[in-house]
Amino acid sequence: MKLKIRLLCLGIFLATCLQQAMAQKTMITGKVKNKSTGEPLNGATISNEANQKSAFTDANGDFSIQGEKGQTLSVVYVGMTKMRLKITNTVGVEFLMEEGNIKLDEVVVVGYGTQKITKVSGAINTIKSADIEKLKPVRAEEALQGRASGVTVISPGSPGAKPTVLVRGIPSYSGANPLVVVDGSLQTIDDLNSINASDIESISILKDAASTAIYGVKGGNGVIIVTTKSGRKNRKAEFSFSSYYGMQEVARKIGLLNATEYGAMLNEGSVLSGGNLIFTDLSKLGVGTDWQDQVFKKAPMQSHSMSARGGGEKMTYFLSAGYTGQGGIVGGADKSYFNRYNATSNLSFDLTPKLKLITNTSFVNIKGASIAENAINSVLGNALNFDPTVPVYNTVPNTYGTYSVSNRILSENYNPLTQLDNTHNYSNTNKLYGKIELQYNILKNLSFTSRYGYTNTDITGKSFQPLVYYGDGHINSTLNSDGSTKSGSHNSVAQNKNTFYSYTFENYANYNFKVVGGHSLETVLGFSMAKNTGNAIYGSRQDVPFNSWDFADISAATGTAANSGLSTGVSRYERRNLSFFGRFNYDYKERYLASVSLRRDGSYAFGKNNKYGNFPSFSLGWNVSSESFYHFKPVKVFKIRGSYGITGNENVNPQFERILSGIYSYNLGQNTGYTFGNDATSTGAAVGSYLNEDLRWEKQKQLNLGFDAQLFDGKLSINADYYEKNIDGLLFQPSLSLYLGTAAIPSANVGKIKSNGFDVTVGYNTLIGKQFKLTTNVSLTTNKTTVTTTNGGLITGGSYGIAGEQITRFEEGYTPGYFFGYKTNGLFQTLDEISKSPTQANAQPGDIKYADVNGDGVIDAKDRTQIGNPFPKYTIGWNLTLEYKGFDFNTFVYVSLGNDLFRAYERNLAMTNKYRGVLGRWTGPGSTNDARNPRFVFADVNNNTRASDRYIEDGSFAKLKNVQLGYTIPATLYRNKVFSKIRVYAQVKNAVVITKYSGYDPEITNGDAGILETGVDRGAYPQSRIYAMGIDFKF
Amino acid sequence: MLENMKKSRLLIGAACWILLAATGCKKFIDYNAHEDYQITTADYFKTSDDYQKLVIGTYSPMQWLWANTVIGDIASDNSVSGGENATDQIGFQQIDDYTLTTTNSYLTEAWKSCYEGISRANYLHENKGRLNFTGKDSLYGEVYFLRAYYYFHLTRMFGGVPLFVDHRLTVSDSKSAQRAPVADVYKQIEADLLLAIANLPKSNLQKGRVTKYAAQALLGKVYLYQNKFDEAAAMLENVISGPFSLVTNFGDIFLQSGENGSESVFEVQYSNISPFYDWTNPGRGQGNLAVQACGIRNITGSSPYASGWSSNLPTKELATSFAAGDKRKEVTVLDIEAYKTANPSFNITYTVAPYKNTGLYNQKYLPRTGETSGQLELNYLNNYRFIRFSDVLLMAAEAYNRATTPNDTKAQSYLNLVRNRAFGDLLHGVTATGTALKQAIWDERRWELAMEGDRFFDLVRTGQAAAKIKGFVVGKNEVFPIPQQEIDISGLTQNPNY
Repeated sequence: MKLKIRLLCLGIFLATCLQQAMAQKTMITGKVKNKSTGEPLNGATISNEANQKSAFTDANGDFSIQGEKGQTLSVVYVGMTKMRLKITNTVGVEFLMEEGNIKLDEVVVVGYGTQKITKVSGAINTIKSADIEKLKPVRAEEALQGRASGVTVISPGSPGAKPTVLVRGIPSYSGANPLVVVDGSLQTIDDLNSINASDIESISILKDAASTAIYGVKGGNGVIIVTTKSGRKNRKAEFSFSSYYGMQEVARKIGLLNATEYGAMLNEGSVLSGGNLIFTDLSKLGVGTDWQDQVFKKAPMQSHSMSARGGGEKMTYFLSAGYTGQGGIVGGADKSYFNRYNATSNLSFDLTPKLKLITNTSFVNIKGASIAENAINSVLGNALNFDPTVPVYNTVPNTYGTYSVSNRILSENYNPLTQLDNTHNYSNTNKLYGKIELQYNILKNLSFTSRYGYTNTDITGKSFQPLVYYGDGHINSTLNSDGSTKSGSHNSVAQNKNTFYSYTFENYANYNFKVVGGHSLETVLGFSMAKNTGNAIYGSRQDVPFNSWDFADISAATGTAANSGLSTGVSRYERRNLSFFGRFNYDYKERYLASVSLRRDGSYAFGKNNKYGNFPSFSLGWNVSSESFYHFKPVKVFKIRGSYGITGNENVNPQFERILSGIYSYNLGQNTGYTFGNDATSTGAAVGSYLNEDLRWEKQKQLNLGFDAQLFDGKLSINADYYEKNIDGLLFQPSLSLYLGTAAIPSANVGKIKSNGFDVTVGYNTLIGKQFKLTTNVSLTTNKTTVTTTNGGLITGGSYGIAGEQITRFEEGYTPGYFFGYKTNGLFQTLDEISKSPTQANAQPGDIKYADVNGDGVIDAKDRTQIGNPFPKYTIGWNLTLEYKGFDFNTFVYVSLGNDLFRAYERNLAMTNKYRGVLGRWTGPGSTNDARNPRFVFADVNNNTRASDRYIEDGSFAKLKNVQLGYTIPATLYRNKVFSKIRVYAQVKNAVVITKYSGYDPEITNGDAGILETGVDRGAYPQSRIYAMGIDFKF
Repeated sequence: MLENMKKSRLLIGAACWILLAATGCKKFIDYNAHEDYQITTADYFKTSDDYQKLVIGTYSPMQWLWANTVIGDIASDNSVSGGENATDQIGFQQIDDYTLTTTNSYLTEAWKSCYEGISRANYLHENKGRLNFTGKDSLYGEVYFLRAYYYFHLTRMFGGVPLFVDHRLTVSDSKSAQRAPVADVYKQIEADLLLAIANLPKSNLQKGRVTKYAAQALLGKVYLYQNKFDEAAAMLENVISGPFSLVTNFGDIFLQSGENGSESVFEVQYSNISPFYDWTNPGRGQGNLAVQACGIRNITGSSPYASGWSSNLPTKELATSFAAGDKRKEVTVLDIEAYKTANPSFNITYTVAPYKNTGLYNQKYLPRTGETSGQLELNYLNNYRFIRFSDVLLMAAEAYNRATTPNDTKAQSYLNLVRNRAFGDLLHGVTATGTALKQAIWDERRWELAMEGDRFFDLVRTGQAAAKIKGFVVGKNEVFPIPQQEIDISGLTQNPNY
C-alpha cells in the first residue's frame, strides 16, 4: 500500500492517492419488497457490515452489493423496520420488510453532522421531502407552517414575498429571522426564495440552545437546516418529472358601499356638518363601480421540474431543473409576478477511497414585478377608497386617459386602474450558490471536512413613474386634462444594481468512537470564516422621452443634475465572522445521553472589548424505555430531554468615531458650520459619534425541557417541549451623563426580553384493514414574550393613516410589536353624558367616547395604551393523510389564535368610499353604542379616526391551507417499464378561511419590514385561493 | 508502523493548516471605518485645515444657545414668556413664573450645548501638539476664548459645574465627574481668557471671529461677576482704548446693516444663507430661533416685521421705566397698537398675543421680512449682540465706581457717553457719585441692554434680583436647577432648594 498525501495551506486541499487494489469482487444480488403488499421497494439502502459497502435498490427493488457468504447485510427503508440477514446464498436474497412505526434508526441533520434520532437530546423538528412535495410551496418556509411546532410562519400574499418566520417567539425588535443553512452553507431566509421545493430532501429546525449554540452568534433566532437531494451510489439513473398548473383567485372581497349608499352617506355627512347635499338625486347613482372587481384578476400558477438522480461506483449525481411561476391576483399576472428558473447539480466524487469531493451548484433566475402594496394609496388601498360613482372608463370627451377620474377625491386616492396602467416595477435576479466540499476519512471513524459555501446574488431593478392624469386638481396629477404636462412635473426612471456575495469557509473534524462497556462518543471540532457583503449602486433620472416605458432608461432620459433631474447613490455593507466550534456527544448504551457544545464567535461588528463571544450549551437525555426495569407496554418508547445554553444575535453595526464635516448633519442633529459676517458658511468639523467599545451580541439563554413518547406500538407519537428564553443585550440608548455633549450616543446592550412557551407535536398513524392507511399529526405552538427592560427606550412603527400615527411599539412591560392607541368606551349619546365624562375636547353626541386610562379626567395622548397584539397566542397545524390502494388524500389545516389586526386601509376622508360598517352608524341617542360606528360627519371634530381599538379586529383564523387528492396509477397499467411511478392529483390551496376579520385575509405580513409592521392591514396583498392539477412521473 | 507514521503526519499537517488559517485571520474581524469610506477621528489633525475646521465647529454650539438670550430677560423684570398658552414652551413659562422644575428642556439644551462646545474645544486642546503650522497660536486663542465663553454661560446659569479641560470626553467619562466650586470654574475661565488674549490678533478679516478685544471684554465681564473691580477696570480699559465707537443712531445697531458694526465687540453669528429644516433640533442651525420666538403672531401688511410666536414680550413696566426722550425706548419695545395706528399705510393685521399679552414686542430682535430663508421659522439671520461697546463702557464705569480706589469721574464719563447717545444730547448726564452713581449705572444697563439676554444675570450679580423680580427666592433662584437627568445619571448635587 502506497499512500502519498500533500497538504497545501491557505485554503486548497489537494490530495493524490494511489488506490488500494480491491481484494473482494464477489457480488451478492437480491430484491427488497414490502412484506404486506409485495411491492418492490425502490431506494432501500443495503449495507454490508463486513466491508462497509452500501448499495440501493432500483425501481424493481433489485440490488447488487459486494460481499460473500457468511457476512451480514442490513436494509434500511423509510417507514420500515430495519432488517439484518446473514447471507447464505449470494443470489436471490430476498428482504421482506415490515412497516415499522418505531423510527429508531431515523437520522436527523444537525449542525455540522447528523445524529441518530434516539440519541438526540435537543429540540429538533424535521420535515421530510414527502410532506414538502405534497404541498408544492413556492417558498420552502410555507412547508414549515403548522408542521414544525415552535415555528410561527405568517405568509404574505404577494407572489414570492418573504414571510415572517419566528422560531419560538420574538427575540428582538431588530431582526428575528432564523439562520438558514443550505447543505452546510450559511444563508439567510431571503435565500429561501431560490430553492425549488422538489429539490429538498429534508428541513430540520433547530430550536433549543443545545442544537443552535453550535451556530453561536447566528443561532439566536433558531436555525433552519435545508438538505437538498443528492445522488446515490451504484444506482441507475432515476428520472422524475413533475408538473402542475393552477389558477388563482381572491378568496373574498371587502364589503364596501355601493354608489347609492355612498351618495347617501356623503349627503348625510355634509348636511350634518352644515353643508349642502352632495348628490341631489340618489336614484341616478345605482350600484356604481366596485373597484375591487376591477383590480382582482385570475392569475396562473405553475411549476414544472425534472430531475435525474443516480450514481456509479465512484461518483453520484443529482441534477434538476425547474420553473415556478406565480402571477399576482392584484392587477393580474403582467403587473405582479414571481417567475423562477432553477438549475441544480449536486455531484460527489470519490477521488480516492478516503477522499471525497462534493460540489453542489445551483443557478437561479428570478424575474419579479410588483405593484404598490399595503398602503392607503396602494392598488388595493385605491380599490377600497376610490369613488364608486364614476364609471370604469373615461367617458368625458376631450380629456386624457383611458380610465375615469373623480372630481371629488383630490388627494392620495385615485383610480386604481390608472395606477396599475402606470405601474412599471421590475427586477431580475441572478443567483449562483452552492458549495465545494472535501471529506477526508483519515481513519474509519475520523473524518475531516473542508467546505466552501458561497452565494452570489445580482439583482437589477428598474421602475418608471410616468406622468399621470388622475383628474383636474388632484394633487398627484402630473398631467393636465388635455394630456399636457403640468408645469414643474417630470416623469422619472429609477434603476439599481445590487450585488450580494457571501461565503462560509468551514473546516471541521468528526471523530466518533466507542469505549468498551457501551460508552459511545461523537465529537466535532472546527473553525469557520464567513463574510457577507452587499453593494448597491442606484440612480434615477427625469424626463423619459414620450413619457413611455419603451424609453424608460437612464440612458434615454434627459434630466440634468443641475436641475435635480439626475441623481446617483451607492451603498455597501459588510460583515465578517471568525468562529471556532466543538461538540461532544456521549451516550451510554443509548440509554443516557449527554452533549456539550461550545462556539466562540468573533465578529467584525462587535466592539473592541467584546470581539469574541462564547456560546456554550449542554443537554441531557434519558431513554427511559431502554432501561431493563422498564416494562410499561403501552408506551414503548419514552425519552426525557433537557438542555440549557446560550446563543446570540449579531444585529449590531460596527461603530467608529465619526468626524462630521459639513454644515449640518440631519440624522445626528449636529451643526458644525458657522457663518462669519456675510461670508459663505464655513464648513467645520466635530466628532459626531461616540464609540462603544463594549458593543456586543444580543445574548439569549434558553432552557428546554421535553419528552418523546411512542405509544401503542408506535402508532401514536408525542413530542413535547417547554422552553424559557431570557434575552439580554438588546440595543437601546444607554443613560449617559449629559455633560458628554450632543455627539451621538452609541447604542448599548441594555434591553431585555423574556419568552416562554410549549411546542407539541402529536402524530398518529395506523393501518385500517390491509389497505387503508391513515396518518395524521397535530402541532401546537404557544409563545408568550414580554419586553422587560429598555431603559425607557421605545421603538415605534406601523404607520397608520396619512398622518402616519405610529401604532406599534416595542416597549418595556409589553409584548413586542403591540398595538398602541386609545381605548374606546362606546359612544356619547347625549350632551349630558359628555358633560359628565372626562373632558374630551370637541366631542359631540354620536362621537366616540375614549377611555380615561390614566384617570386624570382629561382624554389626551397620555391615555393611549395597549389595544391589541398582532402575534398569535397559539398556532395549530393539523395534517391528515389517507391512503387507500392507489389513492391518497391530504388536508392541512392551519389555525392561528389570538392575533389582532389593525384595520388601516380606510382613508377616512369625507369623499372616499367606506367600509359597509358605516351603515350601522350612530344616528341619534340610543341608535347604537358601538364605538366602531360613530356618527358620520364630514367635520370630524372629535377625531373619531384617531388610532384606537375601533380599528382593532380579532384576526384569529382557521385556514384549510391544502386539500389534495392524488391517484397513483397501478404499475400493472403501464407494463412497458418506462415509468416506475405515475401520480396525478388535484389540489386546492386556501380553500376555506374561517375568521371574524372583515378584511381580505387575516394572515398578513411583510417579512422584510420587520415585526413592527406585523398585523397592520393597509390593504395588504391577500393570499390567493389556488385550484391546481398536477402529475408526477418517475422512470 | 509505516501506516501510523503517515497518519500522524497527516494529523499534524491538518492541525498546522487549521492553526495557520485561524491565526492568519485574526485581522479578519477587525473593523476599519475606511472600508465604509467614513472619516474618523484617526484621520484628523494631519493638516492645518483639519484644525481650522474643528475650530469652526467649536463656534457652532454658540448658535444653539439662542434660548439663553430669551431666558436672560423673561427670568427678569424685563419680559414675560408669552407664547400660545400656559403649556406652550413650558420651559419658558416655568422660568418666567418662577415655578421652575428640574426638568426644563431649555436648561437641558443649554447644559448640553455648552458642554458640546467645551468638548469640541477640549478635543483641539488635547491634540494641540500633533502638528505645527502658521497661525496656530492665534487659532488656539479662539479655542480658549470659546471654552471660556461656554463655561461662563454654564456657571452664571448653574453655579459650580463639572470642569473638564484636558481631553474630549468619551463614553467612559460618563458618570465620573462632580461639580467643581464656582471659584474654580472662574479660575479656569480667567486662565483661558488670558491665554486667548496673549495669542489673539486685535482684528480679524473675517467678521465675527474672536479678537483680542472680545477676549478682554469678556474677561472684564468675568471679573465684574466676581466683584474683581480693579482687574475689571484695567482689563476693560484695553477695550475702550481700542477701535470701537458708539453707533450714533441706537436703532441701527439691531438692523442687518448694523451687524458686526463699529460698536460690536463680540457677536454670535447667525445667517440665512445655509437654511436648515430639522424640527427635531430646531435651534441648532445657522439661524437664530430667538427671533422667530418673539415675533408678532400672524402679522400681515407692509410693515418690515414678519410673524412669530409672541414669546419674550416686554413688560409694560420696562416700557414705562424709560425716561422721556430716551430714544432707546422705541428701539427696545414695539407697542404694536400704537405702531399700527401710527402707520395706517402698512395695513397691519395681527393676532393679539394669546397668553400674557402686554401689547409690547421685543423690537431689537423682531423677525423682519426677507431676513430668513428655507424653513422660515428656523433661519433668521439676526446676530446675537453678546458684548457691545456700550456694555464695555458701562462695565468699566461700574468697575471704576466700585474699585478699591473708586474713580467716579471716569465712571461718570463712561456712563454719560452711553446716555448722550441715548438721548441725542448732552443734557442727560449723570453727576451722582458713590452708591447713587452705582445705581445709576445699574439702571442704565437695563435701558441700554434690555431684551439682549443680560438683565437676569445682572440683577443676580448686583444683588437686586429679589427686589426687582416677583417670585425670586433668595438662596435659590440665583441659579437654575441642574437638569434632573444629570442628578439621576451622573449623581451631581442639585442646587439648593430645588
